[in-house]
Amino acid sequence: MANNTDDVENNMAQREAAQAPEPTQKPQEASGTRLRSSGGSGAGGGVAEGGSRGNDSSPEQNGQAPTAHPQVVENEEDEDEEMTLKYGAKHVIMLFVPVTLCMVVVVATIKSVGFYTKNDGQRLIYTPFPEETDTVAQRAVNSILNATIMITVIIVMTLVLVLLYKYRCYKVIQGWLFLSSLLLLFFFSYIYLKEVFKTYNVAMDYFTLAIIVWNFGVVGMMCIHWKGPLRLQQAYLIMISALMALVFIKYLPEWTAWLILAVISVYDLLAVLCPKGPLRILVETAQERNEPIFPALIYSSTMVWLVNMADIERPNRNSAEVGLPQQNTHGEAVASPAPASPSPDDGGFTSTWINQQQHQLGPLQSTEETRREIQQMPSARPPVEDDDEERGVKLGLGDFIFYSMLVGKASATASEDWNTTLACFVAILIGLCLTLLLLAIFKKALPALPISIFFGLVFYFATDNLVRPFMDKLALHQFYV
Amino acid sequence: MNLERLPNEEKLGLCRKYYLCGFACLPFLWLVNVVWFFREAFRKPAYTEQTQMKTYVKRSALGLLFWFTVLTTWITIFQHFRAQWGAVGDYLSFTIPLGTP
Repeated sequence: MANNTDDVENNMAQREAAQAPEPTQKPQEASGTRLRSSGGSGAGGGVAEGGSRGNDSSPEQNGQAPTAHPQVVENEEDEDEEMTLKYGAKHVIMLFVPVTLCMVVVVATIKSVGFYTKNDGQRLIYTPFPEETDTVAQRAVNSILNATIMITVIIVMTLVLVLLYKYRCYKVIQGWLFLSSLLLLFFFSYIYLKEVFKTYNVAMDYFTLAIIVWNFGVVGMMCIHWKGPLRLQQAYLIMISALMALVFIKYLPEWTAWLILAVISVYDLLAVLCPKGPLRILVETAQERNEPIFPALIYSSTMVWLVNMADIERPNRNSAEVGLPQQNTHGEAVASPAPASPSPDDGGFTSTWINQQQHQLGPLQSTEETRREIQQMPSARPPVEDDDEERGVKLGLGDFIFYSMLVGKASATASEDWNTTLACFVAILIGLCLTLLLLAIFKKALPALPISIFFGLVFYFATDNLVRPFMDKLALHQFYV
Repeated sequence: MNLERLPNEEKLGLCRKYYLCGFACLPFLWLVNVVWFFREAFRKPAYTEQTQMKTYVKRSALGLLFWFTVLTTWITIFQHFRAQWGAVGDYLSFTIPLGTP
């Protein structure tokens, strides 16, 4: 989301919370294991380029380049217009691919590995009320309570993050993120591998397993938090988002999950757009300080070489800064894990958020945060460089997680298998398109969750309850429409 | 991280760090090193740091090959003889398949 950073963080926090480690019986551990995952990271999206449809924005968006060179005005504008257009569509596609990949991974896992749909009776510490109750009313009440607890945790986490950021406790935030990604990359992937091997009835010895997990984890940490090839970094971000989403799917009971999705979208909307929203405060603080935000869990589609804008330093953060043209310039720096100084925007926000969550959740993990760290952009950006490199579009990891969670839940629990899953998938992509379009129009951070999740939920319930019986009846009577 | 934008010394430094870190039982890191820096080291026109980079990439490839053979051999042995090893095989196993002896 453009401003998703906030949301992302919140999500992350929630996610973190939700991610109780397998043994939920141990609340502390559970909290610990919550993946702070990038839920927070969600903030990030925003089409950097697309946004600038406006005449003025185009030059900004495309970076300093056009303005830097003296050119014929009309041609410039035409070219800029065209360039903006082209970039816009391209960036939308650039975001489609990772979101789709993440969803595909989650759905494939849900369908094949039974572990993630099996109800072990374990719950996250954040959702203490069971849903196997005698009456429907009791179940409804329990799920509402669960959702309330989760959202409260997330809000608190976000606030802690904002406070940490305000009082410059950067080390805390970074450490938190680091721990989070550590937990995510090692522990959750270990569990995932175990379940996959069990499903396919493959023998595996400890030695090979240790080598695999060790390699996966260390290279992941390096790519995310330090420097690594862009494609590999994107792949890792997708994988950890998928892992997070799987944990959420496993440990959140049904009604709670749907409620949480709805509530998080609303919260995202509020946190990013309201003047007093924590995410917005974070973004503005980062801007005031003109400093890079910890690259948080933000997925960036391309590396953007920073083109620093003199005026605005936009926090890259998770917010979908993408939309903003000015942000793009700044954001570019942020968005791409360029060698240049780290973009403050992206990372910072989510990190703090995550960190907070981590704190709240427990001693363990803060995967989210680590993710945020990933997009660390070097702080010392080179002076403005005209670079007509594409601006990367950034989307927070939290957004990835919740999208995948919605589609995964749909595939896990829907009675009509593939229709519902596909409907939700299409709904989310449509929502993403609309969000990016809005980003292009408004050119400021926007929450990426609300529109997509709303469409997804509507499509899920409509398809499950209306379309499926209709199709069944048609098939039964061999009536083809 | 876009290599294009980095100055040559930094590229060399990065290649070197990846190479050195790979000694911590990280063949995957060596693989990343080889794939990522291959074009830089072998396909680009020569520059001062390139010779150094070539040695790093070559050594990473060697290390990768070594690890690959070791792992393949071990996995083959393990999968083939696991059942026969009885208790030791079970002790070494992380997951034990159902059904087959």
